[in-house]
Amino acid sequence: MDDLKKRLKEIFVEDLKVQGVTPDEIDDNAPLFGDGLGLDSLDAVELVVLIQKHFNVQIANMDEGREAFASINSLAAYIREHLK
Amino acid sequence: MAAKANAKQRLEALGHGIFYLAMRLFGQRGGYILLWPVIFSYVLCSRKIKQLSGPYLRRRFPEHGFVRRWRDTLKNLIAFGRVLVDRGWMGVSGEDLQGEIVGYEKLVALAEQGKGVVLLTAHVGNWQTAFAHLGDLPVPVHALMRYDQQAVAKHYFDLRGKERSFAIINSDGPLGGVVEATAALQRGEMVTIMGDRLEGGSFVTVDFLGDAVRLPATAYVLAACVGAPVVVVLAAKTGRKNFQLRVWGVWHPRYENRGERAEMLRESGLKFVKILDNYLRKYPYQWYNFYDFWKQ
Repeated sequence: MDDLKKRLKEIFVEDLKVQGVTPDEIDDNAPLFGDGLGLDSLDAVELVVLIQKHFNVQIANMDEGREAFASINSLAAYIREHLK
Repeated sequence: MAAKANAKQRLEALGHGIFYLAMRLFGQRGGYILLWPVIFSYVLCSRKIKQLSGPYLRRRFPEHGFVRRWRDTLKNLIAFGRVLVDRGWMGVSGEDLQGEIVGYEKLVALAEQGKGVVLLTAHVGNWQTAFAHLGDLPVPVHALMRYDQQAVAKHYFDLRGKERSFAIINSDGPLGGVVEATAALQRGEMVTIMGDRLEGGSFVTVDFLGDAVRLPATAYVLAACVGAPVVVVLAAKTGRKNFQLRVWGVWHPRYENRGERAEMLRESGLKFVKILDNYLRKYPYQWYNFYDFWKQ
């Protein structure tokens, strides 16, 4: 597993308190919201702020967010693409 | 069923037409005068209208008996009707209401801190009128709201013939528009949110006028996450052609970890309803949530 995805999974478990899984157990392709990791709209606020804080990458709207929030894989790809 | 709905629509359109005619002929006063027989007959004949206003009025004036409750309903609906007439009169005449923003300097100072500001408001007073006058603030203002472009009674801010003073973030969008709202706050801008009406999503339960009520939680989490203050700004219609927008309270919701979030939400919810309670002591008939607010 690459370092970025590992870091993201740690953020999901430690900061967003995703229940019942360890970072290693999170599927790279699982949807972040709804049925996948079960995040909700309040978690989305925290996630946007955490991405900015840890990676200095801003998700400005849902046109970008829809793509980025699809899974750990897509979020990692989005961050790589927008790293300053 | 469709025929009945059509007839109702035609009747509503006729009602609007009569009001617009009265306003064209006699100005804003014409609309106000026409309100009295219309609302009087509604209150006299419609059980539903009393059911819609009753949940609030019963709690706001628990000591009132049948006659005073009847009068309360009339006053509440007249107040609401005047806000709607103002909106129509604006569209017909092109004139505007005059207002003051009490606490404007405080609002500007908070905006200039660059941390973003969550403007928390409610469906009270002539809020659309008042919020349409926020264009002079030093940062862009956004409204996180459900926006019905097809509404028969157009939004006030679309009737002024000027550019809207704020951008709308549609709360019907994916994740309720919170991504756009977060980004706006991160840029140091302002986001207005209705703190009273729960339209789905996360909520906090607090006591308000003696009973538990669910309030939307988004505003407090947004503010806490980006480090912005919550500023409660409520509008009131203070005269025939006047409004007042007033800063009623400011606080900084914070939580360090998820375990502290529920307590932050409870404290913030309590602060908001205390302010709302104070507002309603001053303007008891300018409450415009016509449904059982305590069952939302």
